[in-house]
Amino acid sequence: MSRALALTLVVSALSAAPAAGQAVTVRDALGRQVTLAAPPQRIVPIFASNTEIVVSLGLADRIVGIEAYTRFPPEIRNRPLVGGRLGFSVDAVVGLRPDLVVVTPARQAANTLVDPMDRLGVPVMVFLHRTVEEILANMRLMGRLAGVAARGEEVAARLEARMARVRERTQGLQRPRTIMITGRLGNGLMLVAREGTYTGDAIVRAGGRFGLAGTAHIAQVSPEAILDANPDVLLFAGSERDLEELIARPGWSDLTAVRNGRVHAVPRPELLIPGPRTFDGIERLATLLHPTAAKR
Amino acid sequence: MKIWLLIGCWLLAAVVLAACAGHDWATPADIWRAIAGDTSMRGRLLLEWRLPRVLAAALVGALLGLGGAVFQGVFRNPLAEPYLLGSAGGAALGATLALLVPMALPQTVLLPALAFAGAWGATMMVIGISRVAGAVDAAGLLLAGVAVAAILGALRSFLMLALSDETVSLQIVLSWVLGGVQTPTWSVLALLVAIALACMGFALALAHGLDTLGLGETMAQSFGLETRRFVAVAVLVGSLVVAAAVAFGGLVAFVGLAAPHIARWLVGPLHRPLLPASALVGAIVVTLADALARSALPPAEIPLGLVTAVAGGPFFIFLLARRLRK
Repeated sequence: MSRALALTLVVSALSAAPAAGQAVTVRDALGRQVTLAAPPQRIVPIFASNTEIVVSLGLADRIVGIEAYTRFPPEIRNRPLVGGRLGFSVDAVVGLRPDLVVVTPARQAANTLVDPMDRLGVPVMVFLHRTVEEILANMRLMGRLAGVAARGEEVAARLEARMARVRERTQGLQRPRTIMITGRLGNGLMLVAREGTYTGDAIVRAGGRFGLAGTAHIAQVSPEAILDANPDVLLFAGSERDLEELIARPGWSDLTAVRNGRVHAVPRPELLIPGPRTFDGIERLATLLHPTAAKR
Repeated sequence: MKIWLLIGCWLLAAVVLAACAGHDWATPADIWRAIAGDTSMRGRLLLEWRLPRVLAAALVGALLGLGGAVFQGVFRNPLAEPYLLGSAGGAALGATLALLVPMALPQTVLLPALAFAGAWGATMMVIGISRVAGAVDAAGLLLAGVAVAAILGALRSFLMLALSDETVSLQIVLSWVLGGVQTPTWSVLALLVAIALACMGFALALAHGLDTLGLGETMAQSFGLETRRFVAVAVLVGSLVVAAAVAFGGLVAFVGLAAPHIARWLVGPLHRPLLPASALVGAIVVTLADALARSALPPAEIPLGLVTAVAGGPFFIFLLARRLRK
């Protein structure tokens, strides 16, 4: 390690250490107790969501490895990779000598990493994010774990204040029946935002209501069900071009949402990565669902 | 004697190579230092994570090779193997139930018990169907096996869709389906060694009967073998062996088919040498396949079952073609 880098690490360690310097113990989403003797200086966050949460707390410098589908913020993209679509490498993670690994139970991450890290004594934190509330809780928890609890509080409180403004703006207004298509499957079925997920929560917080009844458990629906539900607003998480191609199909032009021009493409990262950008996404949705209220 | 030494050397070489293989390749000296007590993170990684996994892979492979040899002997059919006869699929269905349905017993008991019940039940079902259909020859058994395996696969997929949530269960079941050795702790590895030795003991006790059965059912009976009872016991032992392999390694395809064939080339058709040789060849094959799975596409890992299926598929076609030409 170069001398300058070593010095930088020492300085950042000193500046980040909590005044008391005590060990921190928290409970993670799987009910495990995670104890850190000192604030972690080498963090490996698995998945874009966890990386963005660490970055939002001003800790980008402490990230020593990411997974292949983490693309934001740009300065993080050249960090060593510990896995991708085909899973995650225990070797690669351990090779980075992390003092904290943050995972989410998706794409086998928790299944492949929690047990080996536990056995090797590397602390692993498992985050879930089924609601916007949980995303905020994860930020606060990450702040506590990383020894920057005040910063975690501050970031979360700022985002909460933005949510309060959205709530005020949309209060008492008629909630449009909204369907958000989050993906299209090869067999013609579509994935839609549903209750019990942060994307569904985002729609409700932005002042909408679910246009498809009874989708609490089913993520895949047929296009027919969407046409039948005839929502007031149709959202598509993806590109404008893909949306145009979709609504050009037979039957779609008859939808109320299409006839009223209430069909919108929304950026995927804002609504499909449960991190700080989700709040930008909710504000954007609120504007789309209640365009007149946005001018208030 | 020379051939056993050769197989032993191959196994040792495979284990050393596999212990070195990974995202970060280690040297044999690194492995030695880790065993001697290197407490660095890397040393602990090698000792606590990589070595138990390599040894578990070898044992899973040994069980699969052994199971394959037993099934091929019982059915007097070189194409019989746990995967094709439904017993692996049955074990996986049992394991899926154990993993996803909350039951009163602890999972450590339920998982092997249900895996065994599934393996045994499925194999008996395949034999039963082929008997009822009057197709007790190789093709009949295989067709019944394919049908039962398809039904079991569908049931397992349905359970996965209906019962899993987004936390851990689906991923555990999925890793079973794709095959992959779960890294055991050293104490669990000791248990696996004991299970493998017991399985080998049971299988060797069948060796003479399997040789006799190989002469044909009528001939075997004239030699004093109670064929019906013997087949039932042998299927039970085969299912036990497969269930143990599946409990630790998930669905690893084709090893049970290929290993006994390779072993037959090496030691001949008599079961007393064939059964241990199949186990050793299975151990070598799975150890190497697992090493490939862990190191081919760093930092990702390819599921072990996919590696053995891709390598074993062509082997199966080769066997089939050779058999049809005869």
